[in-house]
Amino acid sequence: MIRLATIPLIVLLAACSDNPQADNAGGSSEIENPFRGVMQDRTSASADEALYVEKCSMCHRQMGMGTVLLGRRVDPAQAMLENREALTAEYIITAARQGIGNMPRISTAEVSDEQMNRIAAYLVATGGGVAE
Amino acid sequence: MTQFNPAAWRAFADAIGSEWVLTDDDDRQAYSDHYAQDETAHAPSGAVAPASAEEVQAIIRIANQYSVPLWPVSRGKNFGYGGAAPVMAGSVVLDMTRMKKIEVDEENGTVLVEPGVGFFDLYDHLQQNNIPLWLSVPGNSWGSVAGNALDRGVGYTSYGDHAAQICGLEVVLPDGDLVRTGMGALEGSPSWNLHHHGFGPSWDGMFCQSNFGVVTKLGLWLMPEPEAVAGYDYEFDKIDDLGWAIDTIMPLRRSGLIKQSPSIGNWLRSAAVMTRREDWTDDKGPLDESVITAIRNRFNIGWWSVQVRFYGEEEVVEASMKVLDRAFDGKPLLNKIPTHWKRGDEPEGTPMTGVPVSFPLANANWHGGRGGHVGYSPVLPPSGDLAMDQFRRTYALYEKYGMDYHASFAMGERSLTNVNQLLYNKDDADMMGRVDGMFRELVADAKVQGYGEYRTHIDYMDLVSDTFDFNDNALRRLNERVKDALDPKGILAPGKSGIWPKGERA
Repeated sequence: MIRLATIPLIVLLAACSDNPQADNAGGSSEIENPFRGVMQDRTSASADEALYVEKCSMCHRQMGMGTVLLGRRVDPAQAMLENREALTAEYIITAARQGIGNMPRISTAEVSDEQMNRIAAYLVATGGGVAE
Repeated sequence: MTQFNPAAWRAFADAIGSEWVLTDDDDRQAYSDHYAQDETAHAPSGAVAPASAEEVQAIIRIANQYSVPLWPVSRGKNFGYGGAAPVMAGSVVLDMTRMKKIEVDEENGTVLVEPGVGFFDLYDHLQQNNIPLWLSVPGNSWGSVAGNALDRGVGYTSYGDHAAQICGLEVVLPDGDLVRTGMGALEGSPSWNLHHHGFGPSWDGMFCQSNFGVVTKLGLWLMPEPEAVAGYDYEFDKIDDLGWAIDTIMPLRRSGLIKQSPSIGNWLRSAAVMTRREDWTDDKGPLDESVITAIRNRFNIGWWSVQVRFYGEEEVVEASMKVLDRAFDGKPLLNKIPTHWKRGDEPEGTPMTGVPVSFPLANANWHGGRGGHVGYSPVLPPSGDLAMDQFRRTYALYEKYGMDYHASFAMGERSLTNVNQLLYNKDDADMMGRVDGMFRELVADAKVQGYGEYRTHIDYMDLVSDTFDFNDNALRRLNERVKDALDPKGILAPGKSGIWPKGERA
């Protein structure tokens, strides 16, 4: 049984494209071709966002493992955590410390409690979530 | 589970601060093998997280005093090989994720990294400082640059043999002494990371996949940004195309024209990253041809695919492309997709140009649920016929155990590494009941051919070590003699690569 929605195949010649994201555009969570346009935005505009980029975005921005997997479980428009609505700080911290699905647990050596709190607050703010 | 004097915890805290001695249940679980069905089999008793080589030395001395087995990890992201978990349950994880110093020599194209530096960290450092050097990244770029090189990880560019790019180490030995290898043995040497050899024996290789020391700094060569990159993504329709494809590429690899290691992989390598099995079928049994055809049609991929790239001056790259075209002229390709990039263009944006990624880890979700995989990767001679034979035998074992074939053949200069990932759902008891038996039969099958693994999971280090059996396992005896000389108390990574200290040997 084929369940995938019919998605027009993207012509795989866009290495010549001006936009490095072009091949995998349309869904930061959808992979059309692992060897075209899989670079993520690593920029930040605040210290807390920079911390998020350093500690989390490798998996939770464009083409990250977490974004790809969440795109299968939630509205793809909210697959990136920074776009996710209604996240609470408590949920974010619990998911990171306990692991969830394919996400491994994050140790306090890797992300201290103080850093984790800042990251949770950043995500709550970007997604319009609920502060605890 | 090993036992040691709990007074060691207080000594660790006195040395590095109690904040960095991690002993509660959450801490312990954070260092378990995330892909394991039974995480308790390799559960550590806690972790210590030093911030400097001096603190590593202090921890090593305390471990000797209290006979504490330590399991050093750089960042602990070695997924598929055990993650951060130790071979021996009860070991204390020595987590160096806080050690994140980066020193780049832009002019000479080298970097000196501490173990906690991940590929994304180094990529960001190069980008933010406009340094025109490129990384070679593995499929899981979340991990450590140093740790990956020391475990002989591989990447996509012509610098993809990461262990071969190592040039100079700083190492804390099991007695706490600090040594620098190669030219670094000269105080203040400016050529530590520039020249592979020093005076007398070379020691860099001794600290790869070993338990003879804790590497606290690692020199690595990086690729100067090339003027151009070009190549093809080749697609092959038939299973039997594997043989001639390898025999077409290998002469160019041997001659040095192709400097990266093209890796020819089957359709599932792509499909498992991009989709889940349940997207294609509800049948838990073997995937029939109609499903495989549907997947291939959906993504316009062959039964096998390979990416070949050239890096360098534009004229040289263009000339290399002509030679590659000539080699494939008249061959029955399903498709070939060209790629060209020139300095000044927008970033090409893939691992083929050193961009770090984590999405390949999504393949652990192929079966849904809490997934994982274990790697089986024997090394064989670079022959199309031998590769086809390896494929047939291995494929038959996948069928016997009811698992989905996921494999590639990475072409080194003089060898093939047949990288298999046994994808599983660790909540599927029936499936998990087949994985261990299959893995052991795969290793035995390779051994009959004289093939050994290039790297393995913590569950199988003894098994793989056993297969290196020339002269009644003389290599193991040598490793054990070195172990006993350097680490008489056996505190460093007992069981790593099948090397056990005295008193712990079978």
